[in-house]
Amino acid sequence: MPVTKVLTAGIGEVDLRGIDAYRARGGYKQWERAVREMQPADVQSLADKSGLRGRGGAGFPTGRKWSFLPKDKHLRYLVCNCDEAEPGTFKDHMLLEETPHQVIEGMLIGAYAIASHHAFIYIRGEFRRGYEIFCAALEEAKRAGYVGKNIFGSGFDLELTVQRGAGAYICGEETALLNSLEGKRGEPRLKPPFPAVEGLYGMPTVVNNVETLAYLVPILERGAEWFAAVGTERTKGYKVVSVSGHVRSPGNYEIAMGTPIRELIELAGGLRPGRKLMAVQPGGGSSACIFEEHLDWPYDYESLAKAGSMLGSGAMVVFDDTTDFVKAAYNLTRFFAHESCGQCTPCREGGDWLARVLARLVDHRGVPGDFEMLARISSGITGLNLCPLGDSIEPFLKSVMLRFPDQFKSRILALQAQPA
Amino acid sequence: MTQREENFPALLERLTPECERIIAQYEQKRSALLPMMHLFQEHEGYVSADAMSAAAEMLDLTMGEVEGTVSFYTLLYRRPVGKYMLQICRGLACSINGAEDMMAHFRERLGVGHLETTDDGVFSYEEVECLAACDRASCMQVNLDFVYSLTPQMVDEMLVAMRAGAYSTAPMVQIEAPGRTWAISQESDISRGKKSPGAVGVPLPNNAGGVGDRSGIIMLDHIISRDVEFFTKTSERAVVDARQVVEVREEEGTHAGH
Repeated sequence: MPVTKVLTAGIGEVDLRGIDAYRARGGYKQWERAVREMQPADVQSLADKSGLRGRGGAGFPTGRKWSFLPKDKHLRYLVCNCDEAEPGTFKDHMLLEETPHQVIEGMLIGAYAIASHHAFIYIRGEFRRGYEIFCAALEEAKRAGYVGKNIFGSGFDLELTVQRGAGAYICGEETALLNSLEGKRGEPRLKPPFPAVEGLYGMPTVVNNVETLAYLVPILERGAEWFAAVGTERTKGYKVVSVSGHVRSPGNYEIAMGTPIRELIELAGGLRPGRKLMAVQPGGGSSACIFEEHLDWPYDYESLAKAGSMLGSGAMVVFDDTTDFVKAAYNLTRFFAHESCGQCTPCREGGDWLARVLARLVDHRGVPGDFEMLARISSGITGLNLCPLGDSIEPFLKSVMLRFPDQFKSRILALQAQPA
Repeated sequence: MTQREENFPALLERLTPECERIIAQYEQKRSALLPMMHLFQEHEGYVSADAMSAAAEMLDLTMGEVEGTVSFYTLLYRRPVGKYMLQICRGLACSINGAEDMMAHFRERLGVGHLETTDDGVFSYEEVECLAACDRASCMQVNLDFVYSLTPQMVDEMLVAMRAGAYSTAPMVQIEAPGRTWAISQESDISRGKKSPGAVGVPLPNNAGGVGDRSGIIMLDHIISRDVEFFTKTSERAVVDARQVVEVREEEGTHAGH
């Protein structure tokens, strides 16, 4: 099947970290063209026409997001979200370390599109190596005159600041990220106001994912029609999907949107011999599982939503018949409980409660009523929180409880077996 | 005064230009807090109270604002840690690909658990959330350098090399001997089972406890009877206060006896 390499072109074949290697492949040409020949509105309309949607998780149309910026305020910020920590996702990690210049060029184009003169990238604290690589690339770009004052003699100024996180999954949520960038605890803010109206330092701000911004480069190069030509009706273009779990060649695979899920698993080498597929988590730790019957469905936002799940960050974890789904549910629930910022009671208390109930199920020490209790607590968390973290606990748990109830129920101690 | 405290003014002077460069990057000073804390941690091995108060001064913040922020982030250590911070991924993709065996192996070889430091101060061990390297499970970070596709043999070789000072990743600065754990939250293995009031001395795990149950008394008894050093941390201040109350009561008791 055809594998398209756009953002991932050259990765693993050549070292693209240096500016010369990147320029040899046409790097920074689109940035130059944007500044010299285009108006910010032209870039915006290109993004709009391409159908590009946010690659960080929510899938919001990028051009639309930009259009929410108030027209009368001229101080505005672009923030690139590189706080990749969604369980199973490792695409931004790769883009940051392997093609830092592509990320920089995408950020520059994105900042230009919204007429911002100061862009930030927030890099996950754990990616220290990626941070160093990015900083080195940024120095090269500054020396070459791509970042700074009066770029290409056009009079357009653009500063780019690199910020390192310090260990907190929640900072991937855009308003938590902005708080963290302001030197505060990474606690999500109440929306509205949305960042486009009141973001960093109270100014209009756009927060875009690394992959989203990087796709601006090929979109400028090959045109919006090229990008919009592939994909399904409402999900256009390409996507880097992180496939892991029980597959033989886990890794990042760049695909045209709408590629059947089965093909995606085959791209990653398929299952180990003699193993049977039990479930697939198609969109990161926050997504519900899909099953055998969905494998021929296209990998796009709408189909996955119809299957009761979501495309999310594009991280696919495959589970074969060796999987203990109670353990898996415990693992993810404990993760969310651990990463809850603690602002909203349902998420803070509910997550920990669920994790404790699941922990005793893992140990085969469940108490009668635990199965019903899991369902009750998890549905009690959903929808009652400031940010999506709390709502991310239920989908996986619920989907595997419905599909594999016996794995849960068999671990509940029978009444008579309990000590008096 | 410890050696570190004595050296701090000189360190602060040395790092001030770098701090000023960081501060100049932002429209608002406070944004410089995390980068500055990373910087001080690099030089002191952890975020000391001195570093926090220096940052508070430079950024016009209160100590509470600084500590409140620092305490939110897991990569900022507020107590000394080992020379090698071993952070193994316990994320789902790693966990279904052998991470559990690897964690058991680490625990057995090091003789410590989650969030603990070995007695010799060489290793700190933590089981962390998804490290975004699921294609090379099971993975870990050594002083934030990635190590991929772990095997027990790799683990053994790594530990030997680290003990001999011959490992490819440099050890962290360590200017103060670490204690048993650097974590101030109650998640570490050594405090497990004694964490929330409702979880102690309550007959059923789903009974959250509350006023009138014995859990609060048990917890207080536990902190008072344990020798905890006094720093400037609020939680510990409460412990010291509690201890003083007991002392006063004892004194009163003896007086009454006379």
